[in-house]
Amino acid sequence: MLMNNFNKIKTLAVAMLIPAVGFCQQQTTKESSSYFSNVLFLTLLVTIIVLAIVIVAFSSVFKNIADSDYLTTKYANKKSEDSSTVKNVTSVVLLLSSLSMMSQEKVAAIAKVNDGRIGGLDQFTFYFMLAIVFLELIVLGLIIYQFNFLVKTYTVVETAAKVKKVESKLMLSLTDAVAIEEEDSIMLDHDYDGIKELDNNLPPWWKYGFYLTIVVAIVYLINYHVIGTGDLQGKEYEKEIAQAKLEVEEFMKTSANNVDESTVKLLTDASDIEAGKTVFIANCAACHGQLGEGTVGPNFADDYWIHGGSVQDIFKSIKYGWVEKGMKSWKEDLSPMQIAQVTSFIKSLRGTNPPNGKAAQGDLYVEGGAAPVSDSTAVVGDTLNVQIKADSLKAAVTTTVATAKK
Amino acid sequence: MELQKFQYDNKTVKMFAYATILWGLVGMLVGLIAAIQLYLPAANLNLPYTTFGRLRPLHTNAVIFAFVGNGIFMGVYYSLQRLLKARMFSDLLSKIHFWGWQLIIVLAALTLVLGKTTGKEYAELEWPIDILITLVWVVFGWNMFGTIIRRRERHLYVAIWFYIATFVTVAMLHIVNSIEIPVSFWKSYSWYAGVQDALVQWWYGHNAVAFFLTTPYLGLMYYFLPKIAQRPVYSYRLSIIHFWALIFLYIWAGPHHLLYTSVPDWAQSLGVVFSVMLIAPSWGGMINGLLTLRGAWDRVRDNVGLKFLVVAVTAYGMATFEGPMLSLKNVNAIAHYTDWIVAHVHVGALGWNGFMTFGILYWLIPRLFQTKLYSEKLANMHFWIGTLGIVLYAVPMYWAGFMQSSMWKDFTPEGQLKWQFMDTVTKMIPFYIARSVGGALFLVGAILMTYNLIKTIKVGTFLEIEEDQAPALVGEYQSHSKDHWHRWIERKPIQMLIVSLVVVAIGGIIEFVPVFLVKSNIPTIASVKPYTPLELQGRDIYIREGCYTCHSQMVRPFRSETARYGEYSKAGEFVYDHPFQWGSKRTGPDLARLGGKYPDSWHYNHMMDPTSMSPGSVMPQYPWLLEDQLDANSTISKIKAMQRLGVPYPEGYDKIAIKDMEAQAKEITANLKKDGIETLPDREIVALISYLQRLGKDIKTEGLKAQK
Repeated sequence: MLMNNFNKIKTLAVAMLIPAVGFCQQQTTKESSSYFSNVLFLTLLVTIIVLAIVIVAFSSVFKNIADSDYLTTKYANKKSEDSSTVKNVTSVVLLLSSLSMMSQEKVAAIAKVNDGRIGGLDQFTFYFMLAIVFLELIVLGLIIYQFNFLVKTYTVVETAAKVKKVESKLMLSLTDAVAIEEEDSIMLDHDYDGIKELDNNLPPWWKYGFYLTIVVAIVYLINYHVIGTGDLQGKEYEKEIAQAKLEVEEFMKTSANNVDESTVKLLTDASDIEAGKTVFIANCAACHGQLGEGTVGPNFADDYWIHGGSVQDIFKSIKYGWVEKGMKSWKEDLSPMQIAQVTSFIKSLRGTNPPNGKAAQGDLYVEGGAAPVSDSTAVVGDTLNVQIKADSLKAAVTTTVATAKK
Repeated sequence: MELQKFQYDNKTVKMFAYATILWGLVGMLVGLIAAIQLYLPAANLNLPYTTFGRLRPLHTNAVIFAFVGNGIFMGVYYSLQRLLKARMFSDLLSKIHFWGWQLIIVLAALTLVLGKTTGKEYAELEWPIDILITLVWVVFGWNMFGTIIRRRERHLYVAIWFYIATFVTVAMLHIVNSIEIPVSFWKSYSWYAGVQDALVQWWYGHNAVAFFLTTPYLGLMYYFLPKIAQRPVYSYRLSIIHFWALIFLYIWAGPHHLLYTSVPDWAQSLGVVFSVMLIAPSWGGMINGLLTLRGAWDRVRDNVGLKFLVVAVTAYGMATFEGPMLSLKNVNAIAHYTDWIVAHVHVGALGWNGFMTFGILYWLIPRLFQTKLYSEKLANMHFWIGTLGIVLYAVPMYWAGFMQSSMWKDFTPEGQLKWQFMDTVTKMIPFYIARSVGGALFLVGAILMTYNLIKTIKVGTFLEIEEDQAPALVGEYQSHSKDHWHRWIERKPIQMLIVSLVVVAIGGIIEFVPVFLVKSNIPTIASVKPYTPLELQGRDIYIREGCYTCHSQMVRPFRSETARYGEYSKAGEFVYDHPFQWGSKRTGPDLARLGGKYPDSWHYNHMMDPTSMSPGSVMPQYPWLLEDQLDANSTISKIKAMQRLGVPYPEGYDKIAIKDMEAQAKEITANLKKDGIETLPDREIVALISYLQRLGKDIKTEGLKAQK
């Protein structure tokens, strides 16, 4: 009898969900792509489904408690009180559902007048879904309340000596298991080398958890591959890059860091040179030597430069690299300011004559002379689509370069 | 009914138990050495045989196939006979099985340290050993089914369902993944290339975890746990549903090892959703194990074997919950290639497999030797040291993994990567040290156990002849109407075998067929050309040295990766990669776009001493590459093998390949000479440099042309 009542609640809850789901479907056929790509909509939808499953699972646990012989005997004495509680619950639920219907109508009316959207959803859908979530929460609350009520009755009736037993009964309800004392009733008749098997029910939370993962799997596949509202990795990547580009541009507008190969000037502050040196030791010394004497890469202390020795040229060589000659591009590793600092540090090395200096490579560079022009502008891994403007480079004035520190 | 008398074969069980202990110690020790090398590269003593790249496959093969493998056979040979009330089918087959498996292990150990490897993770063994494995596995199956046919118990217990599924699935996985073209006796090329090879490999790799480390051990759990606890199994119904669901769903989940790679999106999504659906079936095993202990928890307190089993089952539950979480793409984006994954697998390996094996051994050895365990106290100490070892291992690795990944992904507001790769390596060192302490503790625990068991064995006398009796099975089974429907298949072992095979075959077929037949899954790129003979030789050196154990070759489509490495990898780039070398861990940086990034001389110096070019590097030195001569004559057979695999070298190219190779080698030596490095063109380093300089270049030149 108790069980019947809880079944009623369950059926009610499900019955209330059906029109909701139906409604969502109607809505989505109208504006399918916009709704399924709407985060708010998806969140609400998932919340509704999860809550529904929790309600169903809970009511099944509840059913088991109610079903246990122990309880029925206890409840036999309080029949009248019990049925009234359940009646109360049912009426409350009914009242609430009718209330929510009314509120839905009101919201619908408002939605017609005012076209204001909430989180990308029209007001009607928003409030409707919110109402379902609230309803589910209330049903869940009532179930939990009833659950507590049952447990309380339990503990009151039980003597203190039997408290431990109550706990295990609770555990039994969660797993839907037959008590150890009664397990002979579900003992199967076979025996494998002394191992016997019980035939307990599947724990409800496990069973419904399994169903939930299947639902999640189906929704996932539909989202990404049937209606295609989820971004697959290619699209996701494009969006990430676009977003990053925006953020960097926004930051650079206000940043002192905003130098490039056409605007860079030699830095002469000791602090800048020192900062450049730190970066140089960490990143460049492996190939160009601790003192810039050159090992794998060329010597920086002489007057000969393979790709030009002006501040702009060196800045450019560091920024974009000379990939085919083994110099990588550093623009993803170093900020423009850092590149300017390293450039200035490198310029400061001229004439320092370090020991074991590598033989001169490239052309003689005379300070203030014409900068060699290069057309190799190959950039690999150009994630932010920063393109070199070769023309502006050629036009770059090199005469502004101050003479390097002696 | 007349009772038939028979004897159990305890000798084979004993031998497998000894082998389990021996290989367990070896495997863990090798693991510890490899772990130490991560912060002390010189711990390889500058020998090629003991470098990380060769020890890591040795460690994984030893613990999986030698330690756990022998553990499986020990448990199966013990439980199968008793569950079926029959002696093993053939003593000869048992002997062949035991010694055959040990031979495989010894051959594996020798070939792996010598650098004979296929370069496919967890399937590194070369083709002659692959054939040997197949034969020995068939012997195992033959022996098992022979015993099943001669059984005196009508129905098969759940443990045996798991054994059957294990047998049939491992056979399928091993054969399909090992299809390769032999080049010489110890060298072969995978029949599959690139994306297809990756998909097959991780279908295998993932299900090696599922059907070698999981299902047989679940079978063992279903026998030993209720046996030791003396409690009935919690739920027969749960056994049925979790068994079938587990074997069906597991096989699909392979692509979750390849999320955000060049594998087609739909295959990745299948990997994700099937992993999520796996939570409940996996937990079904844990629940059935733990709830079997209802009413017996006082016994857990007193029985050390049971204690190990409880932690094992709990670790299983943790690892199988974490697995699906790691399969979610957004979590995977963080965790993949980091030490997080290493922590995850070790919770499973140390906790589930290790502790389960220890628990069984503590119960089994005293039984086989008709005595009590030498020292309960020592066993308890092992339990606590082992548990502490797992915690000390896992926690630093989780932390390290998360930290390294965050550093990889960090950008400055100006839009530059915040950290050089090297920064993220040096930050790992304290965690690597802590991890090796955890691993060492676990090994110390295992040594304590070995001592304890040897003492036990010395005191006891081996129960060589254990008699039992049971009535023979006569006539057809008269089923009762109240029988569960599943009882039918439990008395039909052959049907069980066939249905299991069908259930596990479905996932693989659905994932493979489209990738092999539908062209759009791997769009071709015109500029991608086969490797030159020298590059091919260099690639084989790369494989031989196990570079893939620390370096990936797969740039994922994330800003942080394209900024660091270059354009993200495309499926069409790998069509000539037999085998693929995507890797699964980035102890060092990704190498997919290494080509042209540094001069040849940089690579030369770097191989001689990595710290000279990358201060702080934990990569070992490879001085032998600078001295050893390349086996130029193998080029001909290699080119021929590639041609047979469909790589479009022109007809008769094998005849001129060596000439081409020498010409390219001369170019590189000339380049090196410019930077003051004198070397002969026939050294291995030259071939390796040519390969490293080729990596990712095909698509780079494409990009250059497009820009011009």
